Amino acid sequence: MMRKALAGFAAVALMAGTAWVAAPPFADAQGGGTVEVEVKYSGAADVQTLKVNKDTEQCGKEAKVENIVVGGNKGLANAVASIAGAKGQPTGKKAAIDQKGCKFVPHVIATTPGEVDILNSDGILHNIHTYSTANPSINKAQPKFKKTMTEKFEKPEFIKVTCDVHSWMLGWIAVMPHPYFGVTNESGVAKIENAPAGKQTVEVWHEKLGKVTKDVEVKPGATTKVTVEMVKK
Amino acid sequence: MARTSAGRATRRAHLLRCLLGPLPAAYSEYAAVGPSSAPRIWTLLVALFRARVGLHALGVSLIIGVVFAPSEGSAQAGDANAGKAVYERKCAMCHGVKGDGKGAGAELLDPKPRDFTSGVYKIRTTANKTPSDQDLFRIITAGMPGTSMPPWDVLPEKERWNLVAYIKTFAADKFKEAPKKLELPKEVSSSEASIKRGKEMYEAIECHKCHGNLGRADGPSRPELKDDWGHPIAPANLTKRWTFRGGASRTEIATRIANGVLGTPMPSFIDSVEKPEDVWHLTNYILSLGPESPAYATLVTVNGTTDAIPDDPNAEFWKKAAPNTIPLMGQVIVDPRNFNPIIDLVIVRGAYNDKEIAFHLTWDDPSQTTAEGRADAPGAAKKIAADAIALQFPSKIVPGTERPYFLMGDATDSVYLLRWEGGKAGEVSASGPTKLKTLEGGEVVSKTVYENGQYRVVIKRPLAGKGEERPTFQPSTFVPVAFQAWDGGAGETGTRMSLTSWYYLRLEPPQSNRRFVVPPVVALLTLVAMLLVVRAASRGRGR
Ligand SMILES: [Cu+2]
Repeated sequence: MMRKALAGFAAVALMAGTAWVAAPPFADAQGGGTVEVEVKYSGAADVQTLKVNKDTEQCGKEAKVENIVVGGNKGLANAVASIAGAKGQPTGKKAAIDQKGCKFVPHVIATTPGEVDILNSDGILHNIHTYSTANPSINKAQPKFKKTMTEKFEKPEFIKVTCDVHSWMLGWIAVMPHPYFGVTNESGVAKIENAPAGKQTVEVWHEKLGKVTKDVEVKPGATTKVTVEMVKK
Repeated sequence: MARTSAGRATRRAHLLRCLLGPLPAAYSEYAAVGPSSAPRIWTLLVALFRARVGLHALGVSLIIGVVFAPSEGSAQAGDANAGKAVYERKCAMCHGVKGDGKGAGAELLDPKPRDFTSGVYKIRTTANKTPSDQDLFRIITAGMPGTSMPPWDVLPEKERWNLVAYIKTFAADKFKEAPKKLELPKEVSSSEASIKRGKEMYEAIECHKCHGNLGRADGPSRPELKDDWGHPIAPANLTKRWTFRGGASRTEIATRIANGVLGTPMPSFIDSVEKPEDVWHLTNYILSLGPESPAYATLVTVNGTTDAIPDDPNAEFWKKAAPNTIPLMGQVIVDPRNFNPIIDLVIVRGAYNDKEIAFHLTWDDPSQTTAEGRADAPGAAKKIAADAIALQFPSKIVPGTERPYFLMGDATDSVYLLRWEGGKAGEVSASGPTKLKTLEGGEVVSKTVYENGQYRVVIKRPLAGKGEERPTFQPSTFVPVAFQAWDGGAGETGTRMSLTSWYYLRLEPPQSNRRFVVPPVVALLTLVAMLLVVRAASRGRGR
């Protein structure tokens, strides 16, 4: 009896151990590192302002179309940095994008294949209209009483999301084939955590500026900084 | 069953449009001469016209009393190779030989012809993107009301199935996924309570954002709407269900609400209503917004009265006056033409007393524009003009059948226009569409109401016309009348207009019990004119 219990305990411990080793997984096991990608853009920012003719209580009187957002020190926001050609399991985290102030917030989300929560904080009608080729395109109404809709995006792809009610609303869902990615903040910096060590290629995607790559040597357990310059094509 | 009656309604609408709308005459002139400036466009139009002439012929047989009901049958496996030949003969002109929607005529059309290579189809009864064969067959057979896609029920059923098979080959990979039938919630029949719930839902899910408060397609998002290819697209006018692209039956409407219209801003609502059966309540509400068919008039009756005629368009007087619904079509005879007219009908009411004659006009226009323009909406068309409408009469009303050229007269016979523009009415003498002369010193008054995407205008003038260029209206006579309309918000101005050919106005004496005997005669004359058009077109075909 005691023996049995002990064996059971050992089994559980072993499983737990294995799980513990495998969990933060792909990286630490092989000694992954952090890549801090700074994306720069020397061109002019491109943010258009439109007059709003409806829902001004939620949307405000002016809407901004954020085509190219450049922060201090020429940092380019809303770019997705990732390790090109890497392989890895989905993060298991459900990503979310909100519709707030008649804007998609954040403007760009990145996630691994799976479900995404689409929130409607505005409490007015929006419609989620996606433009995709790998995944089925969707166009679903999200009326005021529908606070959350959950949609599945199974294939890696950069998906444009719009709302036809508010034509200026534009967001992106980046479905990534592996968990080594980050989205640049307002100063143009993205962090890729637990990136596989060794010679890698960092790929940066921006909705208006396309893709740029740069080679990097990822050091295990350390942060490697890399600066990537994007230009208007 | 619902399908068949919807089909019949559509056909009836087309038929009436073709029979009563004056355009056949215009098109036949076209067929005889053809504009030298744009030969390619010309070829296309003649072809489209021919397609429609087929319809006219059907219409004529319908009038004579042959009831036409298409056999729809169950899905058949078509032969793509055989379909190719038909496609290249009948469809390629607009949809392109490669099926990419870039045929010679595509440029002129709005909405644009379907790009079959995309595999995206607006009208589906399926829950996924893949339409069923039956869905494709239905559109080929019934056409798409309100677009340039005519019904092809003139083709043998087998050929239509062959076409289905062939157009699928343009996006073979998109058809790998089998169509999945959309299951609608259990049907709720119409009742006062259901319509009320539908109205609540209409407001709760904000259908008005695009379709407008009363369904007249005047919602605030209207000017911003684009389809998946970036072309501007208009929301449906829910009060005119005979123009619904995917049919006007209960099931068809419920399916559109549940499923959305793929490739357009119309989203799917099946997961976005409070309860699934709300789809049916919404359907019942939409059906309550307008008549099944427009019931076009063949003649405009103007009733005599001994009372004063109010100039307020919302006066009780006008609500009691009999409406005459007149269809309008795009002006395509002289450049610049209007291939995609916005104003498709006007409802005319008339009255006269011993001093004056008045016309009450009602028409839908999604955007109110005056000469000064309008508040700029995001994505709104920049080129705008003032909204306008005109009643046209011969400058001199003479007995007999001679009338000036319907397109604003010519050098020999001028016309007189009672023309309202951007809120003000005036008088114009015209001897051609670009030869206009404003008549000064008239006594025309008008009053305008614009509400929820609809104009209601009263235009009044004395019965007696001053001078040579103004006609005098006399009780108990027939007066030729034609109509022209412009949606300035859509950039319509000058010859870019909607119009009719000549109709007749009948000035009915006050309290007369003598009903008219003449309408059947007029109808017969119209029929004869139609037959001539059909004959002219067949001759054209032989060329
Ligand atoms: Cu929105």
